[in-house]
Amino acid sequence: MKKIDLTVNGRKHEFEVGDQTVLLDVLREDLDLIGAKQSCDRKGQCGACMVLVDGKAVRSCLAKAVKLDGSEVITVEGLGTPDNPHLIQEAFVLAGAVQCGFCTPGMIMAAKGLLDQNPDPGVEEIKKALRHNLCRCTGYKKIVEAVRLAGSFLRGEKKPEDLYPEPDAPMLGVSHPRPSAMIKACGVARFCADYKIKDALELAVVRSPLAHAKIKSIDTSEAEKMPGVAGVVTAKDVKGTNILKYIKSDRPVLCGDKVRYIGDPIVAVAADTRERALAAAEAVKVELEPLPVLENIGQAMAEGVVQVHDDIPNMCYEQPIVKGDADAAFAGSAAVVEAEFQTQINHQAPLEPEVTVAYWERDDDEDKLVIVGRSINIHLHLGMLQEAMGHENMRYEEAFVGGQFGIKIDVITEGIAGAAAIHFKRPVRYVPSLAESMLASSKRHAFNMKVRMGADENGMITAYANDLVVDNGAYYSIGHVVVLRALWMLAGSYNVPALDVKGRLVYTNNPWGSAARGAGPPQQNFALESAVDMLARKMGQDPLEFRYKNFLQVGQSGSTGQAVEQWPIPALMDAMRPHYQRAVEEAKANQGATIKRGVGLACGSFGIGGPGDASVVAVELDDDGGVSIFAAAADPGEGNDSMLTQIACEVMGLGMDKVRLNTRSTDVTAASGPAAGSRITYMMGNALIDGLRQIKELMAETGAKTGKELEAAGKPRRCLGRKKNIEATPMDPVTGQGPNFETQVHAVQMAELEVNTETGEVKVIKMTTAVDAGTVIHPQNLAGQLEGGMDMGVGYALREEYVAGETSDWRNFKFPTMATSFDMEVVVLETPRDTGPLGATGVGEMCMVPTAPAVLNAIDDAIGVRITTLPATPEKVKAALAGAGA
Amino acid sequence: MNPRAGQEGANAQLGRHVRLVAGKEMVFDSENFFWDHEDWSEEAARELAREAGLEELGEKHWRVMRFFREYFLYNGRAPLNNQLKKGTGLTLLELEGLFPGGIKHGARRLAGLPNPKTCN
Repeated sequence: MKKIDLTVNGRKHEFEVGDQTVLLDVLREDLDLIGAKQSCDRKGQCGACMVLVDGKAVRSCLAKAVKLDGSEVITVEGLGTPDNPHLIQEAFVLAGAVQCGFCTPGMIMAAKGLLDQNPDPGVEEIKKALRHNLCRCTGYKKIVEAVRLAGSFLRGEKKPEDLYPEPDAPMLGVSHPRPSAMIKACGVARFCADYKIKDALELAVVRSPLAHAKIKSIDTSEAEKMPGVAGVVTAKDVKGTNILKYIKSDRPVLCGDKVRYIGDPIVAVAADTRERALAAAEAVKVELEPLPVLENIGQAMAEGVVQVHDDIPNMCYEQPIVKGDADAAFAGSAAVVEAEFQTQINHQAPLEPEVTVAYWERDDDEDKLVIVGRSINIHLHLGMLQEAMGHENMRYEEAFVGGQFGIKIDVITEGIAGAAAIHFKRPVRYVPSLAESMLASSKRHAFNMKVRMGADENGMITAYANDLVVDNGAYYSIGHVVVLRALWMLAGSYNVPALDVKGRLVYTNNPWGSAARGAGPPQQNFALESAVDMLARKMGQDPLEFRYKNFLQVGQSGSTGQAVEQWPIPALMDAMRPHYQRAVEEAKANQGATIKRGVGLACGSFGIGGPGDASVVAVELDDDGGVSIFAAAADPGEGNDSMLTQIACEVMGLGMDKVRLNTRSTDVTAASGPAAGSRITYMMGNALIDGLRQIKELMAETGAKTGKELEAAGKPRRCLGRKKNIEATPMDPVTGQGPNFETQVHAVQMAELEVNTETGEVKVIKMTTAVDAGTVIHPQNLAGQLEGGMDMGVGYALREEYVAGETSDWRNFKFPTMATSFDMEVVVLETPRDTGPLGATGVGEMCMVPTAPAVLNAIDDAIGVRITTLPATPEKVKAALAGAGA
Repeated sequence: MNPRAGQEGANAQLGRHVRLVAGKEMVFDSENFFWDHEDWSEEAARELAREAGLEELGEKHWRVMRFFREYFLYNGRAPLNNQLKKGTGLTLLELEGLFPGGIKHGARRLAGLPNPKTCN
């Protein structure tokens, strides 16, 4: 140990540090400066821990403290506070560069380091300075814009006060700063790992290295003798069912008899420090007897193979769609294309590891267990945990959440942390590494799709067949919902008179699939939009015009037979047409011998408001005439706080300071349902409006202006608003005809890219989205979702894949970076939706639904070969070129 | 035609099923909880109670169910047991024994409180 002096944010401190202690731990552990975040297992891959050391931006997870004696350190907390922010922090808020906020402090410190040296940097200089900083939410566009804006503030060319909307600015269509943005920009928003609990035990978990095995024995004797160890928790120690039931009762908190995928949890070890818990976990001996491993759907569907679950067949769900006479339609078609498409297992890749903190709180006659986690459905997860852990008196609190993208629809670490807290009757913190978070969590399902598509001599689509098999992995989670969503949106934006579709879901020993931005439609839309492009090219027709004439018209029906009432996608294609024409001309003018340029289109019509879905939101009139909203509306970065606040302001005629949000605790919120399926704006926005309408009626009836006055008039100050979707006609189990969504969000996307025919590398130059999501509440949030979604979609198309046992950090996951980022443009049309809250829908998933096929169609346009397996890596591109004889 | 008639196929896909209870078709989830709390009626509660082996609903049963419903209609969520005890004046043991299936799967279900919604 060595003593060092550091000046941190202007105050001198003395620390005793070891040779390996890094600055990040000194800041977070010794000074409780939580602005610097840990994501990448201290590998220097993410930049979330960036601070200034002697004026230079450094990754504090790599900076050895012993080498910093006498240094001056500035963290994001040292720049400004929410009440008195630094100009860079204001720039990030005003530019809309803050979504989940987990990467934001690091981004701001990197920007500070740059702007101190160069107050007027260009885009490439910004990208270079921020090259170590990762962001999953924004696609980097607004971050670059924020740094440029900050520069203009610092140079005195612009002033923040000139950019804030006027207090009386409209509430719809105006980007009022997000209510949560500034505390994130100032590094004081608490994410799970930022919760410190006195005397909390730290957990480490032993996970299976095998994909399928019987647990023969577990020996924890050595581990339990190790220094600081409080004990262990195994399946037999979990008080309740030990099962995290979503739809099927198949996933244990801790495995007792079998493991079913690489990463299944077996033993939790608790110790006084995380390091000691990890050391003791290494000493646990688990004897596993290997079982046959079902590596893919083909193996799992074969006759006589082992079942992943004894009581459920591997092929665990099936739903066809039969519409019209597809055989006759194919037989009469002038052209037919056929292909087999495959998508990969992928990690949703939120930056924040899957942390849970659990502690006890004094209650009347039985202490209450408080779970602080990252759930996007706190009431459902509370119920799951109560049953799994056998403890009823609980509260779930959503901390600030560092990205989500579907992964947080499931309980991941909460069950283990809660079970340990109950077992030891002590507070616990379970802070898994990034590598363990990847092992522990759900993944995007892999799809295999054998498709055929036909068209008549006029280029009108006649039929579409898709034999769609989904790799469910080891556990069910929301399995068949993903299949259903793919089927509901199967025909996409088009009128397809005849469909012959089979959707199947199959257990394997792969990582378990679950929600992942779009959850089904991004996978199936890759096949659909690729097939549309193949057919257009086969018939010698322009891909844009071919799509245009095949668009569904109002009154025609989608894949499940439900006629559409609003279908504004032709207008979006009209809006895209000049961009497309420009892109095609530029591509023609920029063809090289080795570098080939291509342009690709894809559409998406994404359902919102599933049949029978329901939500509730409680609203209360406050004593100052403002309103309080009580809704479990998780906000892992999309801007749901803006949506709820601005809708309430619009409906009630209030200023933003008069709307109070209560969204994070099961003790105070209504059970509003998940922040998933792009449903929050549509479902909770509508429920909110219903509650506010009731309040307004009571106010009008009594003349009351405040909650007190309402109560004095004998009326309640609180109303429960609800939104319930229509239970549509039945979905026939044989034909799949029946219910569908209440509304849709539509988009056309265009990819412009270059393919290097020697290396196979693909460089995206620009993505353009034309979108119609109904009434726009907050333009920056809308564009932010689309930009982040396009970036995620390009990663999905070209690079990203999760390989169990191999993918372990951001580098080998091929996380998108400033270096892979590209130009983006968003074109917005607004067709207010008849059933949407103030005409709005949602856009959080649509943003990446057309991206992968647009990219793959552009590759085909560039080099004349069709890649049908994602991701389109350089090796696949080269192989496809070689196969085509290029 | 009742818009819900004949939807067994659709709702089974979604983990829900339709039943005729107290003369009205209504949707239940996979754990037989009401999908829509507004479908509930006293008569439906009586019929479901009889089905669960509870022939007569006494004052305590109604006290518990009324508390559940009032709590839900105010808060939009189910109460925890501690709140239930305070609200009804009954002990946990009494509450667990009062309804077949106990507090959650008995009382809360018969009171018509829906389970928290999942993704669909």
